[in-house]
Amino acid sequence: MVGVEVGIISVFVILFLIYTGVHVAVALGLVSFIGVWVYRDSIHIAVSLLAEATHDTIAHEVFANVPLFALMGIIASEIGLGADVYRIAYQIFRRVRGGLGMATVAANALFASITGSSIASATVFTRIAVPEMLKFGYTRQFSVGVVAGSSVLGMLIPPSAMLIIYAIVAEQSVGQMFIAGFIPGVLLATAFVLGILVMSYVAPKFIGGEANKVAEDLPDDLTGLQILVLLIPVAFLVVLVLGGIYSGAFQPQEAGAAGSAGALGIGVIKRRLTWRGLWRVLVETGHITAAILFLIITASMYSRMLGVAGLPTLFSEWLTSMNLGLIGLMAIYVVLMVLLGTIIETASIILIVVPLFLNSVEALGGDFVWFGIVTVIGAEIGLLTPPLGISCFTIKSTIRDPSITLSHIFTGAFPFACVMLLVLIAIIAFPSLSLVLLQYA
Amino acid sequence: MPDSGSNDGAGRRQIAPLRIFGWIVSGMNATGSCWIVVLMLLINAEAIGRSAFNQPIIGVIEMIEISIVGIVFMQLADSLRKGVLTRSDGMYNQVMARRPRAGHAMGLFTSVAGVVFMGLVLWGSVPTFVDAWAGDYYIGVEGMFTAPVWPVALVIVIAITVTMIQFMINLAGHLQPLVGRH
Repeated sequence: MVGVEVGIISVFVILFLIYTGVHVAVALGLVSFIGVWVYRDSIHIAVSLLAEATHDTIAHEVFANVPLFALMGIIASEIGLGADVYRIAYQIFRRVRGGLGMATVAANALFASITGSSIASATVFTRIAVPEMLKFGYTRQFSVGVVAGSSVLGMLIPPSAMLIIYAIVAEQSVGQMFIAGFIPGVLLATAFVLGILVMSYVAPKFIGGEANKVAEDLPDDLTGLQILVLLIPVAFLVVLVLGGIYSGAFQPQEAGAAGSAGALGIGVIKRRLTWRGLWRVLVETGHITAAILFLIITASMYSRMLGVAGLPTLFSEWLTSMNLGLIGLMAIYVVLMVLLGTIIETASIILIVVPLFLNSVEALGGDFVWFGIVTVIGAEIGLLTPPLGISCFTIKSTIRDPSITLSHIFTGAFPFACVMLLVLIAIIAFPSLSLVLLQYA
Repeated sequence: MPDSGSNDGAGRRQIAPLRIFGWIVSGMNATGSCWIVVLMLLINAEAIGRSAFNQPIIGVIEMIEISIVGIVFMQLADSLRKGVLTRSDGMYNQVMARRPRAGHAMGLFTSVAGVVFMGLVLWGSVPTFVDAWAGDYYIGVEGMFTAPVWPVALVIVIAITVTMIQFMINLAGHLQPLVGRH
């Protein structure tokens, strides 16, 4: 029983430390150290576990995915591909009720297929889309809410940093996770667009005074040629990266490398990349890489500690003995993810919770790829909900308009969190939504 | 993650050792940033070599593995310094805004935890480096491509040390308002 107690206490101590502001990696590492020390009664075993994890965990080709897809996404933001995509979407949706909101969703979905991070999407579209929507009379809460809500598409539509992290923790193929994320991502984007359409009839006040009529003083139409010029670079990257992975021509990390090189090339051809900009891109990529991979190193300490304590097996036996069935287990799991999502960000949640549940999911016959999609969406819902939804804080720190408050952002994002929950229920109920494409890969 | 803040006193008048330490952190960060480009080129070269010429570049996998570790540890201290190392700072910020002394106490606790953890990792990493150095450990396949293990082990030892010192600087930054006279 000592194993279970050590394990369960350790999880609560980690959460407590994180809540007080200790760096997530430090919390995971320290608690793992103490756990092994107590359980094995040897400080030397505990110390060498830390050293082993530090040296061995990330020395593998698959981890190259993290810096390379981060690099590609940050270059894409730096050279203004987000703004290009928004102009195209704007052109398509502007004559529809609630159209600028839909344009934001569509632009996010397209931009998500060349970036892997919600934070990147939230930053880009806060700058581009929010002022435009305010100009046409949309309410503050809707304008920021739609950006917060649709930014989660960045984490789901491949390439996605979170799918990479899940693949690493659950020892699944990154390429398969990318294939599986496609339909759920498109489904979620479609559900957001439909949600906006429904809101524009049911709750027009929530969206804004002028949402009912279509904006009159529209800027000039883009010509077909202009649209083509805007679209080609993005389409090129999507074909290069996702086409390369889906066709089997590239390993995922090779697609990331090729995509980064391609994005650099586009920046040079379009003359949008300065040396200073390039340097900023590299430093930011480095920071993100260090933060994520160091987190993964300490998460490996944690899962090694759990392994020493035998917790995953015991936890799985305990859950199985409650006869929940797979659906019951998922219900508990989703509630847990959403709660955690309000305190910590997605990567940390995946690294803490997934190792505990993998055994149970396998015992109940769940598919690991499907479980990964459920995990990512579940954890992302928390990013939109108070008290500590991180996507909302990103928008707050990006936006320059002080009249927009955090409560505007949380209120505006709430309908989108609800839509996500509905989509998540559909994805849990119909695993084939995640798995059907894998048959053709 | 959006947790800017943890200011370590940059911008104010700094004593020489702190300034030199700042240069070391920035220099390591620059090295790691350039290394990302190297990694990108390596992987592209490998993909092209393998698919276009059916000729894998020997040792490229080992170089990729070394690069990933290098990139992460070169950037670690700077990530901490710039406040981008993942943490949940919502409660910390709220406490800091309302009761600065309590906020600094939390910051102090956070920094102490960081120092202790880095110290423990360092304790374990030094012997790893010494073994790799003394035992001439290498990765790769003998006769094809081999690379010694000790340089990466040394990078890790240095990076963990520098990160630990950065945590100590943060610690001092929180300690000052708690004990200092104004």
